[in-house]
Amino acid sequence: MDNLRLPYWALCTALALAVTFVVRDPYLASIVNLISIAALVAVSLRFVMLIGELNFATAAFMGLGAYAAGAATTILHWPFALALVFGGVVAAAISIVFGYITLRTRGPYFLLIGFAFTEAVRILYSKSMALGGTSGMVGIFPPVGFDAWMPSLIMAVAAVLIFALYVLERSDFGKILTAIRDNENVARTVGLNILLCKVACFAIASFAAGIAGGLHAFANNVISPGDFSFLVAAFALAYVKVGGEDNIVGPLVGTILLVTLGSFALGLGGQEHIFYGAAIILAVLLLPDGITGLARRGYQRLAARKGH
Amino acid sequence: MHTAIQLILTSLQIGAVYILFSLGLTLIFGVMRIVNFAHGHLFAISALVVAYTVPLLAGWNLPALPAYLLGVVAAVAVTLVLGFLMYVFGFRYFQRDMVGSFILSIGLVLLLDGVFLKVFGGAVRPVPEILPGTVTILGAPVTAQRLALCVAAVIITALLYWAMTRTKLGKALRAVSIDHEAAMLQGVPYGRIAFAGFMIASALAALAGALIAPVTIVSPAIGADYLIKGFIAVIVGGLGSVPGAILGGLFVAAIETVGGFYFDATSATIAIFLLVIVVLLVRPKGLLGHG
Repeated sequence: MDNLRLPYWALCTALALAVTFVVRDPYLASIVNLISIAALVAVSLRFVMLIGELNFATAAFMGLGAYAAGAATTILHWPFALALVFGGVVAAAISIVFGYITLRTRGPYFLLIGFAFTEAVRILYSKSMALGGTSGMVGIFPPVGFDAWMPSLIMAVAAVLIFALYVLERSDFGKILTAIRDNENVARTVGLNILLCKVACFAIASFAAGIAGGLHAFANNVISPGDFSFLVAAFALAYVKVGGEDNIVGPLVGTILLVTLGSFALGLGGQEHIFYGAAIILAVLLLPDGITGLARRGYQRLAARKGH
Repeated sequence: MHTAIQLILTSLQIGAVYILFSLGLTLIFGVMRIVNFAHGHLFAISALVVAYTVPLLAGWNLPALPAYLLGVVAAVAVTLVLGFLMYVFGFRYFQRDMVGSFILSIGLVLLLDGVFLKVFGGAVRPVPEILPGTVTILGAPVTAQRLALCVAAVIITALLYWAMTRTKLGKALRAVSIDHEAAMLQGVPYGRIAFAGFMIASALAALAGALIAPVTIVSPAIGADYLIKGFIAVIVGGLGSVPGAILGGLFVAAIETVGGFYFDATSATIAIFLLVIVVLLVRPKGLLGHG
């Protein structure tokens, strides 16, 4: 395993946590929560992109995690931490079954089946009376003492998971995943069980998405089927694409930038959809490698000039 | 027996629109290897234009049928302009790049969602009845409008099928969708064929939208439902296959109608999803897919 750049990670996480300690305004705190959760979803989406697939079922697994955590809290009265982990485990367990069937297909088929799955699951929640139907599930509160520290807690959980996904990406397992993306058949000739590796990658990403869903449920106290439409995955894709998909820093940069700008545009009375749509179109047309790609090219050009 | 005929007729009516819709999706995928989520918006703008112009023209004392036909012409024209803009400023740069083109189409979906809502407003708008009366087929009543829709859809599908198998353009489109490099070696101008394929698909979406407008309630969000069903139809049939799109469209419509009749709409949607899972388990490339 090569250099994990631990000092940078420690510094950035510490800075991010420091921000959550300073923020006391409820509106700003909600934006910080939004950024932490969206960043985790975007990194989860990008993790499946390592095997070369676009995982639109991310939104479904986020929803499954949120509903599982919500049901564990409101119906079973489980403690907070257990409910959160339960959300992730449920999402991962369902994703193993779903992935085992659908990961035999590739490219557009996998993408579209994920999209259909998201919509089917969303119809299931809205028809289930135990889960609150169309109006959703209410009263998913974290323990009383935690209220003031929720932004810090959410940020910390998201940071731990994002770091874990980064470690996995840099490990030998991550190299197998990129090998599958580059050429599945070559990877198969080495004796790797491709389907198993793909399902493992998918389940890990879905666990992260499920935890993100649980965090979303505890941050907002209310969840409804409308929160988990395919737009969740579309927005996550925008964060990944605008930030740049080559590096795990890309989705983080994209999330912070777009969520902040989006909240600002919403404050101006602008239309969120037009804003995100235009951002995605401009990003794919003008910045094929995203912001981090642009920054790296600029840096390389600068370095080359210094060399002369 | 009566119920069975009624159910078959309803499936054919719904299926007719799904077929037109999924033919466009499968054509674009076959020729350009892109997944266009904004296809539903091409369909929606056509339905919206019809819903806007027909009451307007009827207000000038024009009879219903000419007003509707003028509305259809306007709708197809507007949709083709939108499709042209999408191709020239967007998809042209993302041919055979599934991820890139898909992301672009998601951007277009969000942008057009917002723009349609601003321009047309969120309210649903009814279209006045074009062809009054009902027809009885084998003892089952069908409104004349829905029958006309089916007939029009069958004619359009047959024309497309004929064009794809008999004309030079159709043969070029099929050649490109089987192997674009081999087609180019044979002298097929790929860029021009891709453009033609995209515009034909836009025209199909426009016709589907214009046909559905009088028999449903039109809102800016009308495309989303058909988009999901249309994509399921092409997954079942096999992306890029024209007979597959027809088969898939009929399949989805039949399950939706029968399931909706004996259970409810939700179970029907879940059943459609299960059907897709079963098809993918047996044939990961769809029933008639190859490439």
